[in-house]
Amino acid sequence: MVETGHFALVLAFALALVQTVVPLFGARTGNHKMMAVGAPAALTGFALTALSFVALATAYAGSDFSVESVWENSHSLQPLIYKITGTWGNHEGSMLLWVLILTFFGALVAVFGGNLPATLRANVLAVQGAIGATFLLFILTTSNPFVRLNPAPIEGRDLNPILQDLGLAIHPPLLYLGYVGFSICFSFSVAALIEGRIDASWARWVRPWTLVAWMFLTGGIAMGSYWAYYELGWGGFWFWDPVENASFMPWLAGTALLHSAIVMEKRSALKIWTLLLAILTFSLSLLGTFLVRSGVLTSVHAFATDPTRGVFILCILTLFIGGSLALFALRASRLTAGGLFHPISREGALVLNNLFLTTATATVLVGTLYPLVVEALSADKISVGAPFFNLTFGPLMVPLLVVVPFGPLLAWKRGDIFAVAQRLMAAFAAALLAVLVTALFIDGASVLAALGVGLAFWLICGAFTDLAVKSGFGTVAPATVLRRFAGLPRSVFGTALAHLGLGLTTLGIVGTLCFGTEKILSMHAGDTVELSGHTLRFEGLYPAQGPNYSEDRGRFALLGADGSIAGEITSAKRSYPVRQMTTTESGISTIGFSQLYLSLGDEASDGSVVVRLWWKPLVTLIWGGGLVMMAGAAMSLLDRRLRVGAPSSRKPAGAVPSASPP
Amino acid sequence: MLFWVIAAILTLGASLAVLLPLAGETKNTSAAGDHDLEVYRDQLAELDRDVARGLIRPMEAEEARAEIARRILRLSNAGPAGTTATQRSTRLVATAAVLVVPLVSWGLYGQLGSPDLPSQPLSERLAKNPADSSVDELVARAEAHLAANPSDGRGWDVLAPVYLRMQRYADAVTAYRNAIRLDGDSAARQAGLGEAIANAAGGIVSADAQAAFEAALKLDPANPKASFYLAMGLAQEGRTAEATAAWQKMLAALPQGSPWRGAVEQALAESAARNVASEAPAKGPSADDIDAASSMSPQDRQAMISTMVAGLDEKLRQNPRDEEGWMQLVRSYAVLGKTDQARDALNRGIAVFGADSDQARKFTAFAASLGVTATE
Repeated sequence: MVETGHFALVLAFALALVQTVVPLFGARTGNHKMMAVGAPAALTGFALTALSFVALATAYAGSDFSVESVWENSHSLQPLIYKITGTWGNHEGSMLLWVLILTFFGALVAVFGGNLPATLRANVLAVQGAIGATFLLFILTTSNPFVRLNPAPIEGRDLNPILQDLGLAIHPPLLYLGYVGFSICFSFSVAALIEGRIDASWARWVRPWTLVAWMFLTGGIAMGSYWAYYELGWGGFWFWDPVENASFMPWLAGTALLHSAIVMEKRSALKIWTLLLAILTFSLSLLGTFLVRSGVLTSVHAFATDPTRGVFILCILTLFIGGSLALFALRASRLTAGGLFHPISREGALVLNNLFLTTATATVLVGTLYPLVVEALSADKISVGAPFFNLTFGPLMVPLLVVVPFGPLLAWKRGDIFAVAQRLMAAFAAALLAVLVTALFIDGASVLAALGVGLAFWLICGAFTDLAVKSGFGTVAPATVLRRFAGLPRSVFGTALAHLGLGLTTLGIVGTLCFGTEKILSMHAGDTVELSGHTLRFEGLYPAQGPNYSEDRGRFALLGADGSIAGEITSAKRSYPVRQMTTTESGISTIGFSQLYLSLGDEASDGSVVVRLWWKPLVTLIWGGGLVMMAGAAMSLLDRRLRVGAPSSRKPAGAVPSASPP
Repeated sequence: MLFWVIAAILTLGASLAVLLPLAGETKNTSAAGDHDLEVYRDQLAELDRDVARGLIRPMEAEEARAEIARRILRLSNAGPAGTTATQRSTRLVATAAVLVVPLVSWGLYGQLGSPDLPSQPLSERLAKNPADSSVDELVARAEAHLAANPSDGRGWDVLAPVYLRMQRYADAVTAYRNAIRLDGDSAARQAGLGEAIANAAGGIVSADAQAAFEAALKLDPANPKASFYLAMGLAQEGRTAEATAAWQKMLAALPQGSPWRGAVEQALAESAARNVASEAPAKGPSADDIDAASSMSPQDRQAMISTMVAGLDEKLRQNPRDEEGWMQLVRSYAVLGKTDQARDALNRGIAVFGADSDQARKFTAFAASLGVTATE
């Protein structure tokens, strides 16, 4: 089985080579037979990669220590779920997952691309095949998960304890679906550049892929943030860690791409923007892969390091980013301009959005790469932390968030900013009220905190205003409003939900950062502590034994107002003997949208324990907002508009009907 | 064999995926213009909806309509594009593509793969015939059995000495404790526990280890392991005289063929050397060495001791100005019964420091106490 998987991977590489060359050649020469090779090659390539992945996962699940990567990252005592997730909890396996998802998207294009023009489909599959071939070669030559050990050791070295968590089952697959999903947008852009023209329907084909990738990336980042929050025991939800930035940059660029693609499909404008953003987004995904996989960073994401890998990925980066940008420089001038628009219009607002988002991306890029450059040039190790990003990223984001509610309400081509402002009066009043209530009634609220809350409410109410205005609220009869509301395109709901999610996340961040409280103290069994109106009693430390760890579990009772026990929080210090590592399992109690977060420190000789306690108001909204954004993307995906662009089957193929506006 | 069959089938499938479209009929595909027209029509329809919803003003909508109409006109003007490749070049590419799949895959796999190595899931390895298993596999098997039946005292009892030999001392301690808890005390188990505790602590006989050895002696006063280690504990505390006495008593009581004789003699030799100087720069056998010696066959043990003495001899040839080293070497040869070599060592030691030196006098006196004289 293991060797079958290995062979399937090699075969997938050979097939990817064919998938790159033959359809490309076919598209150049107009040979339909050669173009037709792309789809079956992509499907078979996906099947082979999937077989290979299943073989590796089986080896992990069965603790086959004759496979080196299993031996290095697994242990026979691990629970089955962590044995399986361990498949991608290491460099080799996660690269295989990466390629699996890449070929999966290629197969999706092959299956659902029947309505694409033949040359475009062939070129897209060829570019996708090229990415697949380089990464398969990378895996086979530098990070082969199927390297064998003979004789096989009898016991493995265990998976990194931090990764022995359900988060590993969800976060990397989601994140990779996002990262790699943008490869399709990239392939579409490069295919368009190879052909030297963009079809009118190009944006309609690209937008669903962008939405899918963006949806998964949003989920992946939110999940990763929550995982870091509860697993690392520091109580932070975002660390501006380079590995986090690596996933955040494609998200920012992808968000710009998403908006740009809207203009392109509706108004045939911003073609260059869209192409460039598609290339940049996937380039940033590749850069993220390079940062995380090459080992140039040493961060909380404890993964393998190896210089040969770094150089190889750097070559891949140069090839794809350099190649696509060169192609862009050569061909961009041949693209025809689209619809005209005035600066103050929906198009203009979206250009502004793109500018802000790309600048923000650049800021994060500088903050992430600068320490590496300094280290490379002067051997000094510096870190660019939260202060840099607060000073640069924050001021960029705030104005963008302020103008977000205006965007969806502006008219196409020429907008009336005052009319829009009038419609947003209610939202503005609600935001102002939120500022006043916060400033007057919440103790210790600074002006900045109050304004932050106001901004969040501005976004939330703005999203609702968008829906209300579009269904004619206040101008037509209530019955008509309901009918129009139900008849709104799904993409309108998608927009509103995504912007609502943004507002919720903002509210969560402001709430946690500005109103959170913290206590560090040493507690004996029976001691009570009070934090922001919640009383906790320490019940004591109890030893417990897990399948492959032992732990000291600290039990805390959450006391109600009358002193009765209203709940229990458990935090533990776990010790994994195989890796000789300890982890802290934080204890979390969710109260409304807020959380009480508790983390055990070291035990002192007198039996007391250091306890760190946080009150995090509205913290769950940070990730809840992410989920709402995902729902928005899913809603947009259901929009009928995305299914237009295929010639309907009623018409005879090949016939060009007369051009008469309906 | 099965693997090669699967590999061949997979290769065939992959080759067919390339071959079939190339050999098949050319399908009629729609021209790009059709797709565009659909989009433009939808854009027009959507424009009307946007006007109805007030998202665009009528005047701008008219402009937009004109823009779209112009695009549709441009579309119908565009002619068909693309050239047709010659039959020959098609056939050439097709042949190359179909050949690349098997050639690249089998070539690369030949470089990277280990086709003869079967999968070895742990459960299968543990289930096979014990006679074919390695020691590691047997231990893992026993561990799996004990994980399922943690109250099997006999299992722990069997596993404990194996752990000890594999130098997994912490596991040995647990195993011995479990065996004692489940199957009751015995001198061998208590002595083994003591040995495991001592070795886990790097050879130091701690209070825990001492308690275990004493328990063993209570059950079997003649247990050599317990007596030996207890004496070692005394020596480690600096009570050398008591330790020597205990070992000498052991030596007298031990039967001639006992494997412990060598270990005791070795320990006596070392402690005698320590007696002269509390700290020896050129060290004799360590506690680990002695422990290893005690569990060896008499021949192996003899060989090991000879190797250690030879090592000391060699060290002294390189660093001759080591007073304690020379005395230890003389002592070792004397204990081994190699009187000639002992005398030789004494003479070499005297030569290093000079016949009139204090050291030389000390050596002579020391050697005399062992029955060795500088000259015949």
